[in-house]
Amino acid sequence: MPLDTSTYSLALLRLDGRRWNELRRLTAQISTQASADGSSFLSMGNTKVICTVTGPSEVKAAPGASGRGDEAVVSVEISVAGFSGVERKRRGKGDKRIYEMQTTIATAFQATLFTHLYPRSTITISLHILSLDGSLLATCLNASTLALIDAGVPMRDYICATTAGSTSSYSSNDEKADPLLDLNGSEELELPFLTVATCGTEDEVSVLVMETRVQVGRLEGMLAVGVDGCKQVRDILDVVVRARGKRILEGSQL
Amino acid sequence: MAITILAPAPAANPYPASEYSDEDSEDGGADLERDIDMRPSKRAKRSAKDIVTPGETVTDDPQWMRGHGTYIAPASTEIVATVAGTIQKTNKLLSVRPLRARYTPEIGDLVVGRIVEVQSKRWRVDVGAPVLAGLPLSAINLPGGILRKRTETDELQIRTFFSEGDLLVAEVQSLHQDGTAGLHTRSLKYGKLRNGVFMSVTGTGGGGGVIRARRQVWTMDTEHGGGKVDVILGVNGYIWISKHIEVTTAETAITRMEESVSATVYSSQNDEIAPETRREISRIRGVITLLVQKGLRVDEEMVMRGYSTAIEVDDREPGESNEYLGGDRGKSVLNLLGGR
Repeated sequence: MPLDTSTYSLALLRLDGRRWNELRRLTAQISTQASADGSSFLSMGNTKVICTVTGPSEVKAAPGASGRGDEAVVSVEISVAGFSGVERKRRGKGDKRIYEMQTTIATAFQATLFTHLYPRSTITISLHILSLDGSLLATCLNASTLALIDAGVPMRDYICATTAGSTSSYSSNDEKADPLLDLNGSEELELPFLTVATCGTEDEVSVLVMETRVQVGRLEGMLAVGVDGCKQVRDILDVVVRARGKRILEGSQL
Repeated sequence: MAITILAPAPAANPYPASEYSDEDSEDGGADLERDIDMRPSKRAKRSAKDIVTPGETVTDDPQWMRGHGTYIAPASTEIVATVAGTIQKTNKLLSVRPLRARYTPEIGDLVVGRIVEVQSKRWRVDVGAPVLAGLPLSAINLPGGILRKRTETDELQIRTFFSEGDLLVAEVQSLHQDGTAGLHTRSLKYGKLRNGVFMSVTGTGGGGGVIRARRQVWTMDTEHGGGKVDVILGVNGYIWISKHIEVTTAETAITRMEESVSATVYSSQNDEIAPETRREISRIRGVITLLVQKGLRVDEEMVMRGYSTAIEVDDREPGESNEYLGGDRGKSVLNLLGGR
């Protein structure tokens, strides 16, 4: 394995110097674009995403689109910048992984937003990925939550997401495998990991995606660490929203 | 000596202290009840403490009724906020005003809109709301008399009144169950817009932007030979600033006034607008942009004050009159505005 997991067992430090339960640095801004209904910029470590929300607004439905008339439809568009990865790569519209992420995000917010308040309308979430270093789906979900709050769309609670991994691969029979929180790009390449998103503080899981294999005994630990990470993310996002609100209230008086 | 590894500390604290002490609770905020009939003396003090975020429990007291921006989870009595905003209490109704949101129409609102679709008996109008508003053919002033019944001929030439892309000012007459607004232009105050410039700012959502005020439409005298300029502040955040056109009512009898007006009311042809007027229109537009950028409210008083300050700043500077209000000029206008 190129990722030297043996050093992890020596110092219990990961490649970027974090402990097993530490998040990368998470920074966020909201209302970054004045013309959009809601917008945000969020970075988890070196993964950076810009999100803009348009709507709820009445959009001519694409022919063949199955939208129910009595509630708003959430549609997600993800575009990956060519310069986002290590090597320059063009991704077409038909990328299946991107398509799956779009569906995952749309389904998660369709269930959490109060879409029944906006019949016959569409809420469009556009995500632009500027830099790519692991935990992409989680970053996109967090950025969307912030942009939707900025747009004033009613929602049940924040959707906050992180990834969680395990220090040993599926095949190695390592009894002392530690769960890891918030994997970066190189860790994601070789360790089993899952993306988990919770809605609110009550450990209610709204998204759970896992594309790698892991021994079932390790899953519980990973999930627990991931859900705990989501709580940390929620606290950070909440501070960002409150700081923004405070600034708006201060600004509205001369 | 044993090596100890310290937990890494971020270079700068990216999450500044989250405790919101009420240090600024001495008469702080702008008024909480901007658009409801609260007297100024009853203004609630507003501090950052009053901001709630989605998922935050506002109260678990069952005496409150839940309003907009809140919900009650099944099998509980807690009222939980669903948007980030400030708490608003109207008697026993508890609602959360979002910091920023799309415009939601209310009956009686004066709105500026743009026609996006023409149907056989009505127009669909973009007013910045979640769904398009409708303007039925029966709700406009037909040319040739105010109380004329609409005929099939009118239906056939519906595009002669309004066609796609036309701007109009109207009033919200009715609201349907799904939030769709029905508009009307059955007054001489309303109708097609021309001779001016359109701008879009945040509407009644919170923060800065156009608020529901006593006067949304007024005519102002401008400096530097600009003449009279009309300003229409749509509650939905759409604004129209145009050259004022005198209506000549001297000769026509009072009963025939409607007729003479309606002859020109659906014209899309602009009149001659002098460069001075254009410059002053653009200055007013700059003032409004400045107010919105700063998160200030946009109403008649603020626009008038901002405009006179902008003129002051312009006159102080040597050289030719310049309506540009960005950068340092904008800052000095805002400083003067705040100083008064």
